[in-house]
Amino acid sequence: MFKKTIVKLAAPVAVGALALGLTACGDDGGDSASGGDSYKIAFQGPLSGDNVALGQNMERGVKLALKEAEAKGDLGFKVEYLAVDDQGDPAKATAAAQKAIDDKSVMALVGPAFSGPTNSAAPLLGRAGLTAISPSATNPTLTEGHKYATFLRGVPNDNAQGAGMATYYAKKLKAKKVYLLDDKTDYGVGLATVAEQGLKDAGIEVVKKSVPQKTPDYSATAKDVVNSKADALIYAGYYQDLAPFSKKLKEAGYTGAGISGDGSNDMKFVELAGDAAENWYLTCPCTDASVEQATKDFAANYQKEYNVAPGTYSAEAYDLTNMVLEQMKGLGKGKVDRKALYTALSKATYKGLTKEFSFDENGEFGGTDIYLYQVKAGKIAYQGNINELAGS
Amino acid sequence: MSLHEFWDFLVLGVVLGSIYAVIAIGYTLVYGVLQLINFAHSEVFMLGAYGGVLALTAVEPGSNPSALGSVAYVALGIGAGAALGALTAFGLERAAYRPLRRHGAPRLIFLITAIGASFFLFNLAGKLFGRDPTSVPEMYDNNTVATVFGAQLKTTQVLLLASAVVMMVGLDLIVHRTKLGAGIRAVSQDAEVASLMGVDIDKVVSRTFVIGGLLGGAAGFLYGNFVSQVKFDMGFIPGITAFAAAVVGGIGNIRGAMLGGLMLGIVETLTVPLFGDEWRNVGAFVVLILVLMFRPTGILGERVGRTA
Repeated sequence: MFKKTIVKLAAPVAVGALALGLTACGDDGGDSASGGDSYKIAFQGPLSGDNVALGQNMERGVKLALKEAEAKGDLGFKVEYLAVDDQGDPAKATAAAQKAIDDKSVMALVGPAFSGPTNSAAPLLGRAGLTAISPSATNPTLTEGHKYATFLRGVPNDNAQGAGMATYYAKKLKAKKVYLLDDKTDYGVGLATVAEQGLKDAGIEVVKKSVPQKTPDYSATAKDVVNSKADALIYAGYYQDLAPFSKKLKEAGYTGAGISGDGSNDMKFVELAGDAAENWYLTCPCTDASVEQATKDFAANYQKEYNVAPGTYSAEAYDLTNMVLEQMKGLGKGKVDRKALYTALSKATYKGLTKEFSFDENGEFGGTDIYLYQVKAGKIAYQGNINELAGS
Repeated sequence: MSLHEFWDFLVLGVVLGSIYAVIAIGYTLVYGVLQLINFAHSEVFMLGAYGGVLALTAVEPGSNPSALGSVAYVALGIGAGAALGALTAFGLERAAYRPLRRHGAPRLIFLITAIGASFFLFNLAGKLFGRDPTSVPEMYDNNTVATVFGAQLKTTQVLLLASAVVMMVGLDLIVHRTKLGAGIRAVSQDAEVASLMGVDIDKVVSRTFVIGGLLGGAAGFLYGNFVSQVKFDMGFIPGITAFAAAVVGGIGNIRGAMLGGLMLGIVETLTVPLFGDEWRNVGAFVVLILVLMFRPTGILGERVGRTA
């Protein structure tokens, strides 16, 4: 019963201890090659705990890329995988990132997967000179003023996603009043703020509320949505909360449209919510690997390897891992170190299966394409580019 | 908030509150006989929820069960939940608390043991059932069955309310009308004297845990059905709220626990339309503080024995 309290008391102590440890050995992480013929690439994300499905999708993409590279065997050195589990929790992300930092053979880290954990882990990674290249952390502020020295974002941020939602509601569904709910996480609040701005600019009335993540009972909020007479709803948060929320909405008799972002774009949402997930729109800066021509081979290989179809960001994680590998190969055996790899990556352009990856001077991704999905007959059906669908 | 909205939310609040009330009874009963806050009760609740869901998954209700089928599924879920809850509570008392009582351990040791048991149980559940939520199979069509002052009552809500009321009335009868109840009341008034009068304290304590476990387990399943999914750490929030409810009503006082649970459920739910969901626990705990400021022993005062 006291577990939360104790965790809350213990977390600052642990973080404090870590910070002390870091200042003591803060600048020895920058240049360290390990023997020269064996390196590691880490992935940081939720590999246990809540929302584990989102982390697994990406981890499998990373592992597949490494496996294929080894099979091809033209790198000239070995690259191994290191799993870094932050449970999607900002309080656990620092300790998790430290694991990658301490392993001197880790040259780059794919992730962190979520925005909150990125906010707490990226300063440490920056000081250690270890590249954090995230396929999915979409909070816009992460790249503001290049505050995290080695953070590269391989995905359009929530400015694009929030704006996409607003555009779709304004132009395609012609919504009059939108109920906007965030989950109080860095990701949810960031997405909601952008969406709110977009909706207001389009002259749509907005009711903005928050329900903290992990709230067990959504019945009162669902009732509030119905009573607000809103004809459309945006949920800015993760699938684990959207699932019970959507069930309560159905029970309360809500019939309007619903849209949520990449944090809910996972089959787990449909599994948990059942019928209530039907017709929900889901956006994502990611394409559907099984549908798009360019990623069909990848999807088939992935299916063969893991016996499931690729999930949200699997292909993006795969692309980014290959991008890192390509740059490592360019540096050559024995010459790869953390600093050189970051410099190479930040200037690189890589044509991946899903999109072209390049970064501006803040480490921000250079594109804004957002794609729309909709739950139909128990499947998440790919619709296409949201701006094209909205006709703008 | 219009009057119509008020009724809408009041209905939701009463439903949630009745679940809190049933859980709160588990805290208050054990406190009555042992003066122990059994923090592992939230895990009894959680395991009860899993018990019900696993039993249901085993029989796999189809998508559209008949009316009779629905009743059978619900009964099975509640029964399995209550059984696993009772078993957990019984085991907990045997493994964790009884050895401490034998050795006359100080109060604080009991408390630490309760917290330890809670940690152990929810992590065990996370290991056994996974840390992702499991959805509760649909047992019936969730239609509107009645309308109260314009507020719609759904099947789930009626089911919850009815089950909670039956359990509370049943418990009240057991405590006040049976020999076991007399034993429970005697032990909570004065354990030493009760044992001199021939009450077998070990037996009474053990049965008190079983009764609390039955209620907690059944409430766990009902709550899981209410929020539509069960999860290894689902006991935490309802557990702490129900504990607060037991304190508001007067810890050790069974009717007080029911009243406290109902009150917190209603206050929590009414906070949502007025201030927003992020304030729901603030609302509930402000009420807790206000009550304790004016009535430090809770609304109905302490101890099982002094009810009625």
